[in-house]
Amino acid sequence: MIYYLVIFAAGFAGSFHCIGMCGGFACALGRDQRGGGATVLRHLLYNTGRLTTYCFLGGLAGAIGQVICTTQGLTAAPLLNGSLDTAQRILAIVAGLLMIAMALQFFGLLQVFHRLAIGFGGSTFALSLRGLLTARSSAAPLAFGVFNGFLPCPLVYAFAAQAASTAGALPGFLVMAWFGLGTFPAMLMMGGVGRILGPAWRRHGVRLAGGFILLLGLITLGRGLLPSDAHIGLAWLGGHPA
Amino acid sequence: MTAHGDILCSHCSLPVGLRPMERRLNGEACAFCCYGCCIAFQVKSGRHEEWEAAWLLIQLGVGGFLSMNIMMFSLLLYSDAFTGVDAGVLPWIHLLLWIFATPAVVILGGPYLREMWLNGIQGRVTSSALIVLGVAAAYLYSAFAVFEGSTHVYFDTAVMVLMLFTVGRYLEAVGRARAARDLEPLLAAESESATVIDGAAEICRPVREVSAGMLVRVRPGERIPVDGVVVEGESNTDEAVITGESRQVTKGAGSKVIAGSINIDGPLLIQSSGDGTATRWAQICRSVREALGRRSPTQRLADRVVGVSVPLVLALGGLTIVYWAQSLPFDRALLIGLSVLVVACPCAVGLAAPMATSLGIGRLARHGCLVRDPGVLETLARVRLLAFDKTGTLTAGKARLVGVDCEEVGIDEVLARAAGLERLSEHGLARAIAAAAAQRGITPLVTRDVRTVPGRGIRGSAEGRPVAAGNGRLMNDLGWPLPPSLAERARSLEASGHSVVYVGWGEQVHAVLSLDDSPLPEARAAIAALRERGLDATLLTGDLAQAAERIAALVGIKDVQAGLSPEAKRLALDRLRHDHGSVAMVGDGLNDGPVLAAADVGIAVGSATDLARETAALVLPGDGLWMLPWIVDVACAVRRTILTNLMWAFGYNLVALTFAAFGLLQPILAAAVMAGSSILVVVNSLRLERLPDPVPALIPEQRSGTKAERTHNGAGISAMADPAVERS
Repeated sequence: MIYYLVIFAAGFAGSFHCIGMCGGFACALGRDQRGGGATVLRHLLYNTGRLTTYCFLGGLAGAIGQVICTTQGLTAAPLLNGSLDTAQRILAIVAGLLMIAMALQFFGLLQVFHRLAIGFGGSTFALSLRGLLTARSSAAPLAFGVFNGFLPCPLVYAFAAQAASTAGALPGFLVMAWFGLGTFPAMLMMGGVGRILGPAWRRHGVRLAGGFILLLGLITLGRGLLPSDAHIGLAWLGGHPA
Repeated sequence: MTAHGDILCSHCSLPVGLRPMERRLNGEACAFCCYGCCIAFQVKSGRHEEWEAAWLLIQLGVGGFLSMNIMMFSLLLYSDAFTGVDAGVLPWIHLLLWIFATPAVVILGGPYLREMWLNGIQGRVTSSALIVLGVAAAYLYSAFAVFEGSTHVYFDTAVMVLMLFTVGRYLEAVGRARAARDLEPLLAAESESATVIDGAAEICRPVREVSAGMLVRVRPGERIPVDGVVVEGESNTDEAVITGESRQVTKGAGSKVIAGSINIDGPLLIQSSGDGTATRWAQICRSVREALGRRSPTQRLADRVVGVSVPLVLALGGLTIVYWAQSLPFDRALLIGLSVLVVACPCAVGLAAPMATSLGIGRLARHGCLVRDPGVLETLARVRLLAFDKTGTLTAGKARLVGVDCEEVGIDEVLARAAGLERLSEHGLARAIAAAAAQRGITPLVTRDVRTVPGRGIRGSAEGRPVAAGNGRLMNDLGWPLPPSLAERARSLEASGHSVVYVGWGEQVHAVLSLDDSPLPEARAAIAALRERGLDATLLTGDLAQAAERIAALVGIKDVQAGLSPEAKRLALDRLRHDHGSVAMVGDGLNDGPVLAAADVGIAVGSATDLARETAALVLPGDGLWMLPWIVDVACAVRRTILTNLMWAFGYNLVALTFAAFGLLQPILAAAVMAGSSILVVVNSLRLERLPDPVPALIPEQRSGTKAERTHNGAGISAMADPAVERS
């Protein structure tokens, strides 16, 4: 459980990063003329769409991880029961390295991923989103949220990597679900209250998120590298539910 | 060709085919070749305040939301998250899936169903029918299973197949639009509008309504919509689309501007010199549109294969189900049949040729080369022999002073006297002589009483003595003697195909000027480059054998057939074709019309002004000979891409089909594989974008001054350096 709480916290801290980009969308989504209730519904729908995409990505990543592990001819062992098979170790190492790279980017040390994200069709996506913002349909915010979830974002990639390393659809789904829920408060706040947080706050938040991701990345990496009885970090986190 | 033959997709500029999707967007009628293009177009350029445009995206988003939820729950089901204690909730989850799946299938499957219906009422079965049938089967079976309380539901399959195909088509359409980007400036001519000044008001009008004499304002960054003359303003323009040369040309009041060129940095006020539809730009636009609307032989073949394969695949799917139903439960057999339907969808085959071709056409168009028939690129790639016309193709088609032979006088004196006479004449040879003198910085001698003698030459008087320039008959008439050395020289020059002008004064002929149509400076390099690519060159000309052979030797062609009438050229071409397979003919487009039309690939260099009467399939700009090797490269690359695309699409389909028929491919995986196949074809075609531009070292402007053709420094005979008269 503590594991998922860490993810939630990372999501919460990370959402200060979201405010930079997705926050702008949330603001643009704005208020509904039909009153406060409709506005809240609008933003809930938007965030539900986003969460669905995250969960889907998480479940998919987890399932892919599972497929990778099982096609190695080895059954996926419960993560903390000592014996980790080779495929799972490799997966953990790759995912851990990815997360560390993302974390470094949050500290402003690696800019490769940022450029990758921009290059990878980000602009086309953003264009399509801009159009949906002004549509008056009540389903528009939902559709908008769904697309938004696919926007290239290092935070999402980092947690998708984490989800893949769990090598299971359900834990993968849960990782992304908790992460998504973690981003809820800030994003809802952005939508409802507007820009109250100063840039300094945001910077702290981004640093904090980077710290969380770095920690998770190191633990994941450790799971791949260290002998299986030396998982101090995981013991502390309480591990994944099987 | 049908009525829809020349309609191009609003998004990717490929032909829309027989059943276009027609919609009104932003108040304009748009036609799309596929559903993917329709989505991509709206994403790119739809004004989203409009309900219609946003609605499509909302549909997609909601469809995505539903299908992702279905997928998530199904993933959890597959990973046995609900076994044991939670087994009781299974029927409820199935019901939930059904509730999610129903709107998702309706939303995402709608366009496919419509496509199938529209084709169906015309008696055609297309690939959308495969998708609709497969998805409907999976959905109906699952709905039935929910009622039954069975655990085998496949809503995820039904929805994900639709989702993957939709996303695949969207990505495909994005790629195709990239392919159309090069063509945009050419196709813009018909949709462009011009800012016409009418009294004090500025009115925005379609270009086709602009007529001669109207004043048009062009802001910086805009394309100049009509041919005309600058009335006011100063700016640089880029005429690459029309002339093939990408460099800035400065324009001021009084300069002529060409429709289609880009006004780079200053506002211009232009007086139109003709109708908006009569410009070369508009002609090019119509020609490109026609070319894109036509289908190449490869494309026709691919279309026929697609048409035949759909019913075959349907039959195969049915057989697969029947076969597997004997040994497996019905739902498993149904899924295998569904995989077969989905994986055999021949989308990639239909996409193999047109995209590569339009990329090639766009690539060439950016450098001013017009392709008027899409099949021509593939044919050109197969051609092993190029037949050249001489005058105007390998040569400038314009006389040029190439040598001065004189007796006891200096070249400068000869030219000063000759130019004094000839600058007053409009004759082609005369102009060449005057230009050569100017080039050497010689001041023409003041000449009075100048008279042209028709068919003979020109005479006058300078410094009190008669002076004349012309042919032998003029000198005969005057009774001026010709020194034997000059006479002999003149004979040999005439024998080798030169034009000869005698210059005399003081009752005697003093010099022989030799003029010739000399080869274009780039001709030799171009032919050498073609030879490097394994292409042979031959010369077919109506000129005298000596002249033809001399030019051929200069440009590096060994094989010459001279003295041919146009009809004889056609016959010679037929003989060559008999020996070499396909033959391309390169001509100037003015005199060679029938021959160019008769060749497998007719290439016109420096083409006629009226494109509609052009018979060549490939039209190069006036200075375009140097680009020929590059064009061959592009053609080869296009052909290679089409072949790899087809091989990939067929091979991939066959392998995947085999796997699917043996029950080794999940339907969702099959859909992903299929969408991936189309995208791979698109990506493979997009590699054509990375072809190098034509080698700049061969651009004529950069090769200032050519070498002297020959020099004679014998007793009493001196020669001049090459005067390098400007071409064009």
